[in-house]
Amino acid sequence: MIAPELLDRTSALAIGEDWLLAQLAPRSPYGARDGRIRRRFFPGEEREASDQSNRIARIAEGLDRETMERAHATIARLPDIAPVLARVTVGDSLDDAQSLALLRFADGALELQRMLSSCDELPDCAGDELETLRDMLERGRVGSHAFYLHDSFDEELRAERERFDEARARFESARGRLERGVAAALGRGARVDEEFIVMREALVGALPPGVRVIREAPTYLLCEIDLDEETRALLERREDFARKVALAEERVRAALARRVAALGDALARVAEALGEIDAAIAAALWSRRFSCRPAELVHDGEVEVVEGRWPPLQERLEAVGGAFVPSTIAWNGAAIVTGPNMGGKSVALRTIGFIMLCAAMGLPVPAQRARFALPPMIRWLGIGPEEERRGDLLSSFAGEAVRLRDAFAVLSPRCLLLIDEFARTTTPRESFAILVASLHAARERGAATIAATHLSGVAAAAGARHFAVRGLRGIPTARSGEDIGRVLAALADCMDYRIEELSEDRHRSSDALALAGLLGVDEEIVERARAIVKGLAE
Amino acid sequence: MEVSDLLLDRALAIGARSVAVVGTGKNVGKTVVMRAIYRAAIARGMQVGLTSIGRDGEANDFVDAVAKPRLRLAAGTLVAGALGALPRSPALEWCEATEVQSASGALCIVRVRTESELELVGAPTASGLRGSVEALFAHGAEFVAIDGAIDRIAALREEDAVIVSCGAAASASIEAIAGEVRALVALLALPRGDRSIDAVRIEGALTPMRAAELIASGEKRPIVVRDATRVTLRGRALLGALERLSLRVEHPLRPIAVTVNSVGRAGCVEPKALLQAVHAAVKLPTFDLFAASAA
Repeated sequence: MIAPELLDRTSALAIGEDWLLAQLAPRSPYGARDGRIRRRFFPGEEREASDQSNRIARIAEGLDRETMERAHATIARLPDIAPVLARVTVGDSLDDAQSLALLRFADGALELQRMLSSCDELPDCAGDELETLRDMLERGRVGSHAFYLHDSFDEELRAERERFDEARARFESARGRLERGVAAALGRGARVDEEFIVMREALVGALPPGVRVIREAPTYLLCEIDLDEETRALLERREDFARKVALAEERVRAALARRVAALGDALARVAEALGEIDAAIAAALWSRRFSCRPAELVHDGEVEVVEGRWPPLQERLEAVGGAFVPSTIAWNGAAIVTGPNMGGKSVALRTIGFIMLCAAMGLPVPAQRARFALPPMIRWLGIGPEEERRGDLLSSFAGEAVRLRDAFAVLSPRCLLLIDEFARTTTPRESFAILVASLHAARERGAATIAATHLSGVAAAAGARHFAVRGLRGIPTARSGEDIGRVLAALADCMDYRIEELSEDRHRSSDALALAGLLGVDEEIVERARAIVKGLAE
Repeated sequence: MEVSDLLLDRALAIGARSVAVVGTGKNVGKTVVMRAIYRAAIARGMQVGLTSIGRDGEANDFVDAVAKPRLRLAAGTLVAGALGALPRSPALEWCEATEVQSASGALCIVRVRTESELELVGAPTASGLRGSVEALFAHGAEFVAIDGAIDRIAALREEDAVIVSCGAAASASIEAIAGEVRALVALLALPRGDRSIDAVRIEGALTPMRAAELIASGEKRPIVVRDATRVTLRGRALLGALERLSLRVEHPLRPIAVTVNSVGRAGCVEPKALLQAVHAAVKLPTFDLFAASAA
């Protein structure tokens, strides 16, 4: 059997893998070529995953944020030298834009090495070869970062350029003399342009010598300077020296290319190290920002997450001045999360999934403490964001059933199943039965399962630990027609999102009627519903 | 005083650090105008940067293969040009390879070290052109000249002085040349809308159909669009709309002069008559660089 993917698309969307990958996106082509960010660790690779997450945590602790951000910005500015190395390796010459790229690469990598020298966890991105490269190109440096194929690269180049300059000056002098003569003869300014008009009415007699007519119009002549024999000879001489300069420049470029090719292997190693640094700093910055810590990876079925957070939501809440309430959950086999609507049951599931994904990527996790086995597979069972967005051809229940079937087809020990209000669209009795049966079956296969539900008695029937969101601390009042954003903010203020374990499987209100009223559902409907609930209770 | 100096002075007089040359058509003398301003600025010892909107300055026009004016640049000139179009020799000083891409490769900022001719292939997009101009300033240019393409005004900004070139290459008669350039100048010279006055603000483009609706409804309020590029009317249609509607822009441009070229591929027109007709049509200082005359 082919091993299942760690995440399928629905699960990845539900727990925020795309968000995480965007956070960890490398800043340079070197980082993009580095496979570390796409690496997943599976059972049996606990030590490698722990080593990597511990290393990232040490980088996050050892370097301050400003240094890491400066380093990342420096990496982002580095030109990609891979195409240059490829060309010189096959014997191609360098062009000056490539020499500029190499010079900037050497400057940037050496600057990066100085910047990160206090951190032993990152690879060396400098070395003697990089110094050699910089020294080699140093003669061409202009100002801080520009490059010019300077005369000092080669004596013959210097000599050819001097000869060209002399030939050019003689030609310009001769041409200038002609232009000034024509301008004076025509009563123009200091000199005439390459092409100029002479009005017939203003012309007394013939055109002055050294003027060639390009076009004759009824009222004017379009003219240009006609070079005399001496000036033409000087022009040819100038062009001859220009060709010699070009040949000398190409010789210097070819020599530089050979020297760069000789450093090729060492430069490729530097490029590889830069990719590793790029990826590691992205991970360390992220880890630091969300106060992440390495998880303890074990081999038993116990899952323990203390003060876990789901950063995609934490980020959104903090952007509007809110705060994420962490959750603490521990179980072995199966667990249930109940509580009010909008109380964070699904977020609790996403938090667990996200934390396990981080561990499987060799990252520190957003929790005070976490202990679990590396999952071979994580599956989100419920109406996922993908189905919600696109409107699946299957009915809601059929879609969930198919996903349940697919998950169990590859379910193995230590897999993580996140079941979010499974079968919510069928009858409560059958939904209860399917959920309890699924929890039993998953536990028998050794999977770790956590389910969010409004149904009563599931924990007891499934022999699962029962956690509950504390819920509303009083119902906020909302005025008719009040902005939904304000209502939600007031609701958030009254909601106690903390999760606690319940010792008995007692039923708690979902606060659904209070929330419906708060969200503007017709008061008459809400009151009737309350009466019905009261009648059922009696 | 040389015509080129007069053009440069007009740009500097309004405080512009950049001048863009746009034309009513191809071969109307845009590159000649840019070259003249460039030389005038160089003669004054200014550090000049050059770029173009797209491809220009090559020996033969890329589109119609007509021989084009050469662009010979003095040592010290900064150029924002596409990598693939910049010469290997004589060697240039390479200052920066920007993120802006063109069909001929990345836009690079180079400094000419040895006087030489080169093909100017600039950024093909408005944002790329503005990035190029900023990069030229960042590398020390005191004044930037932009060689425009036909009617490519999207890349122009309020900080540019704009020179409009017209000529016999674009139209057959003096009347037609004057009419075309009058419409283009009118478009470029649309005044800034007064925010305190009730106006019809158009988010997208003012199309001929939308303009016809506004005229038919007898709209008297100012019609405000973001900038001249949002007006898709041209030529007589634009002039007609301007007679009936009060068009305004949020970001005006600054046309400062018009140049004429009486020489076209197919034929020529009388230079003095052209100069006078265009001047009368646009009511801006008008110059003929070929004849070294002004109106």
